[in-house]
Amino acid sequence: MKFWQKNTRHTYWNPYFGGFMLGLLLIATFYITGRGVGATGASKSAVITTVEAVAPTFASGSSFYKKYYDEEKNPMKNWLVFETIGILAGAFLSGALSGRVRFRIQHPPKITPKKRLIIAALGGILFGIGSQIARGCTSGAALSGSSMLSLGGFITMFSIFGTAYLFAYFFRKLWI
Amino acid sequence: MSKRYILLAILLLGSAFGLLMFPETKSDAKVSPTDLLMEINDPARFLETDHIAQRLIEGDPGLFLIDVRSLYEYEEYSIPGSVNIPQEELLLDQWKDYIDQEDMDIVFYSNGDVYADQAWMLTTQSGSKNLYVMKGGLNEWFRTIMKPEKPGEMDPTEVYDLYSFRKGASIFFGGSAQEVPALNDDNAPKKKKVVVKKKKKKAAEGGC
Amino acid sequence: MYTGPLTYFDIISTEWNYVIAVLIGIAFGYIMEASGFSSSRKLVGVFYGYDFAVIRVFFTASIVSIIGLLYMSYFGWIDYSVLYVHPTFLYSALFGGIVMGLGFIIGGFCPGTSICAVAIGKIDGWVFTIGLFVGIFIFSYIFPYVGEIFYGGDMGHIQISEYFGISNELFALIFTVLAVIVFYITTLIRRRVKHVRY
Repeated sequence: MKFWQKNTRHTYWNPYFGGFMLGLLLIATFYITGRGVGATGASKSAVITTVEAVAPTFASGSSFYKKYYDEEKNPMKNWLVFETIGILAGAFLSGALSGRVRFRIQHPPKITPKKRLIIAALGGILFGIGSQIARGCTSGAALSGSSMLSLGGFITMFSIFGTAYLFAYFFRKLWI
Repeated sequence: MSKRYILLAILLLGSAFGLLMFPETKSDAKVSPTDLLMEINDPARFLETDHIAQRLIEGDPGLFLIDVRSLYEYEEYSIPGSVNIPQEELLLDQWKDYIDQEDMDIVFYSNGDVYADQAWMLTTQSGSKNLYVMKGGLNEWFRTIMKPEKPGEMDPTEVYDLYSFRKGASIFFGGSAQEVPALNDDNAPKKKKVVVKKKKKKAAEGGC
Repeated sequence: MYTGPLTYFDIISTEWNYVIAVLIGIAFGYIMEASGFSSSRKLVGVFYGYDFAVIRVFFTASIVSIIGLLYMSYFGWIDYSVLYVHPTFLYSALFGGIVMGLGFIIGGFCPGTSICAVAIGKIDGWVFTIGLFVGIFIFSYIFPYVGEIFYGGDMGHIQISEYFGISNELFALIFTVLAVIVFYITTLIRRRVKHVRY
């Protein structure tokens, strides 16, 4: 058996090692750019670009789009968009090396794939709204914010995890 | 729990504890000649008059202007909000609290920038931080901010943008070059002129 | 003399910005995927006690970067004062966090991890990401009505240590001690909870 055929699907890095590497990456990012990493910024740019292309009159009338339209002429040419392309490539690389790349719906045994997709969409919508309210998601606000000891970053971090723990009991049927 | 994890935890705690062990005050030490030479060659200490005007208009509390000319000259004309510390008094103890601090950017100015630069060198050598020199001094201030020159017709838009900013700044600082629009209604509260200058775009925008 | 941040001091010119962005993204994506963040069942394990990868990775990364940046600042390699501190808007941080927490426990991903899931072909990750777009689109509608939350409680670019009136170094130590205690508790819980295969 060749090494790339070995079943490594369930072997992940030791979480502390992963955390250490992520910490080093954050330091390097701050050292190079003076800012942290992010993940929702690119989605925001994509939404704005799409809306402006499809319905320019709506975009120019809405204060949300106006806010970004004035700031940045072309939202797609954004640092975070390029970073997200990198995330896609990096994750694919890691997944490919461990034989994890294939099309599938990952779902807990008690949940049908269809139901899993519905709740995933619902969760995505909530996360999309929340990240816009809080000016950043787990990576941008909580992780990068806390590296620089930002008060808001810590509040967001504990708010996300606190809420998730509080409601974990009510949604246990979805996961275990 | 394996020994490895205990060791790693101790390592982590140790490095965090190490941060506390550092002596906090580094600023007391005099700057070494090599560092001083490096800083002298660094043109970053010169701030443009436009930059200073912009920050004054915005009411930036982190900006502290020091006029190093004599008291007589200071009373004749000074940039609003500046403080007079004649050059020969700079190192006196009574000014120490003003100059040796970390919260504000101190900008020296004189008529040209030679005396201000000397003041900068004196204070830098005694270990103070965040010190700057206004490029060109008051002469430059008058040439650019108080009496800005109208650009020619062929000039690019940036020059015009800069000119309109300077014109606004001139009114703000009470320069004579501009025709200040007279207020018809005497009872109307005097409006503060807001001057906006386009900021340079940062590399990464957006939060997350 | 400071050398970092490199782009701030023009040591790296702005043309390289996007190349750097892609490289940082690749490293970020690789680390997340290799730590198992592309699996929603692994991620939510933290809330049901069968897998604590999220908390371990997250807190370790946070501590390493906090301590590392303070050391770099102390040795004069990086100008700490110009680094970007995420601004604090009290209500939006709290309320946004609550909405995101709900999204997390329902959807099982967060934006960064869902992008990883997209990359390795998880359909639920695709759907989550599409949901993310829809959520941002919905936000553009409700944006005019949530102005009070969005702009309320503005405290500026404040650091948590500043808020509590202690030094950055002392806060880093306290946070590290707390995290090590949390790590220890997670191992205790992990032993008691029935293991889930996924």
